[in-house]
Amino acid sequence: MIYPQAKFSPGGDRYILIEFGNEMNLELNFLGQGLGKAVKISGLKGVIETAPAFASTLVHYDPDVIRYQDLVLELKRLIKGLGSIDDIELPSRLIYIPCCYLDRWTAECIDDYREKICDKTPDAKMVAQLNGLSGTDELVRVHSGTEYWVASLGFWPGLPFMMPLDPRSRLTAPKYNPPRTWTPKGAVGMGGASTAIYPVATPGGYQIFGRTPVPIWDTKQSFPEFEQSICLFRPGDRVKFVPIDEKEFVDIEQRVADGSYVYNVVDYQKFSVSQYQKWVNSLDINKRF
Amino acid sequence: MIEVIKGGLETSIQDYPGRIGFWDQGFPQSGPMDSWSFRLANLLVDNSVGAAGLECQLMGPTLKFNDARTIAITGANMTPMINQQPIAMWRSIKVVAGDILTLKFALDGARSYIAISGGVDSEPWLGSQSTFHKASVGGITGSAIKDGDQLPLGTANEFISQQVNPELVPPLTTNKQWEIEVVAGPNDDWIDKVGHQRFLESEWRLSSKSDRTGFRLDGPDWTFTDKAHNKAPEHGSEPSNIIDHGYPLGAINLAGQTPIILVSDGPSMGGFINPYTVISAAFWKLGQSRPGDRYRFKQVTVEHAQELRRELDNKCQNTSLIGEK
Repeated sequence: MIYPQAKFSPGGDRYILIEFGNEMNLELNFLGQGLGKAVKISGLKGVIETAPAFASTLVHYDPDVIRYQDLVLELKRLIKGLGSIDDIELPSRLIYIPCCYLDRWTAECIDDYREKICDKTPDAKMVAQLNGLSGTDELVRVHSGTEYWVASLGFWPGLPFMMPLDPRSRLTAPKYNPPRTWTPKGAVGMGGASTAIYPVATPGGYQIFGRTPVPIWDTKQSFPEFEQSICLFRPGDRVKFVPIDEKEFVDIEQRVADGSYVYNVVDYQKFSVSQYQKWVNSLDINKRF
Repeated sequence: MIEVIKGGLETSIQDYPGRIGFWDQGFPQSGPMDSWSFRLANLLVDNSVGAAGLECQLMGPTLKFNDARTIAITGANMTPMINQQPIAMWRSIKVVAGDILTLKFALDGARSYIAISGGVDSEPWLGSQSTFHKASVGGITGSAIKDGDQLPLGTANEFISQQVNPELVPPLTTNKQWEIEVVAGPNDDWIDKVGHQRFLESEWRLSSKSDRTGFRLDGPDWTFTDKAHNKAPEHGSEPSNIIDHGYPLGAINLAGQTPIILVSDGPSMGGFINPYTVISAAFWKLGQSRPGDRYRFKQVTVEHAQELRRELDNKCQNTSLIGEK
């Protein structure tokens, strides 16, 4: 649900979490991102920075400049001004990301975890089972069958938290317990209903079942896509996974290494919330394709 | 310039407060784990409190100076020596060209800080010199300093003979026990009454699987409220799973049943709940604790946490130094 009133909670002496709801949908993400933007534009004194997410915004503030209670009042004022999302129409890039599903690298990582930390059903199989799919092949078809909405960047520099825009591709999965101590660079996976790409080898908690050879962040800014930022994605982008096999993975990896890889970024479209919602309402969301 | 003869276990360039302004792209703040000791070291060499210096973890580096400088060593005692002669900590020290500074294993605490007059003059990266080495960001090469590195330095200040008032030196534990102040939240309503009691009354052991991104704790299991069990599936089915959200620095992040304190290089966001958050004034204790140390958590209010923060900031001023008359 979307809460009738945003919920405010302290995070120690210098953070405040604002939760707008307890589910995953576009409207909640617009509220989270919208508050982050509103804070920036208003130049609200005492706010150091914000981390907008799927359904919330975390604000880092300086308690020597603004008190917790005063900040809550200021944020409530900004939230009031956010307006309806129905009229939102914004430019949205579509970025194609090659993904080797059911690859041997994530499989090796899962084997290592099962051996050293905790035995579990292998990730792809588990996600397929929990979502009533016929098997891992259907998982690949369903997971790659939608555009993903980049809701926020976080966890690690450049890591996109994404939600499927096509409700028929909606899957859910538990997060690792305990989390992995490492994940292969470029691994693609999901936790809850969120999909992510791991920019580098990091610890992680998502179920992983694919891997992209394409860098999604680049401190050396060696490709033109990184001129503006070392992170490939920004909130409001859309991502489409293109299934590839291992041979193609290695081929792309090589082209990335020698600098000849060309990113496939489509940048002429606008995302219309009302159009999108009209389309979603026309679907039978219980059908998979 | 400083020539790195031996890098030590993990010696990194850090500035204070660290990398601010890129949190919404997933960059952690980084910066020193014990900013109390760090700031005092800078004051001793007449730098601004935030100037870039070195954080040494458990075993320090061997460094050669190629010009005359004022330096100061604070934090954990790693038996600092210049040309094999022991030197005092918590005071300004003169070095001349050719002097070799050696730090060994930490006898107490976990992190030593080396401030050099003029500061380390590496290229800032996204507004900060702080090293976030797991992501190859900041410092000289994006990593901890290595044997053979050359560290450029800023313009040296004049030597002032001064020391930290001994009463205002951070009190390192002698019995491996720490009391860590926390504020409940942001997700305290996911834990049931017994779970809260258990957290605050138990002793927690710092696991060896800990680093600048997170401190894993060993202790009893957690129990949850109905909210953690009956929720929309997009949270993830484990009780500790929540729709991915921002993580406060210092959050006690409950990954499954494993609490992980998110420290300087920790993740900015993720899908686990944070029932408590360590207050900024207690951070230095995390920075000085070692695997195997025991924590007890003490709950304080937001207002009290902010008061403690002001008190600590007041201790990181020149008024904490005593000049040599």
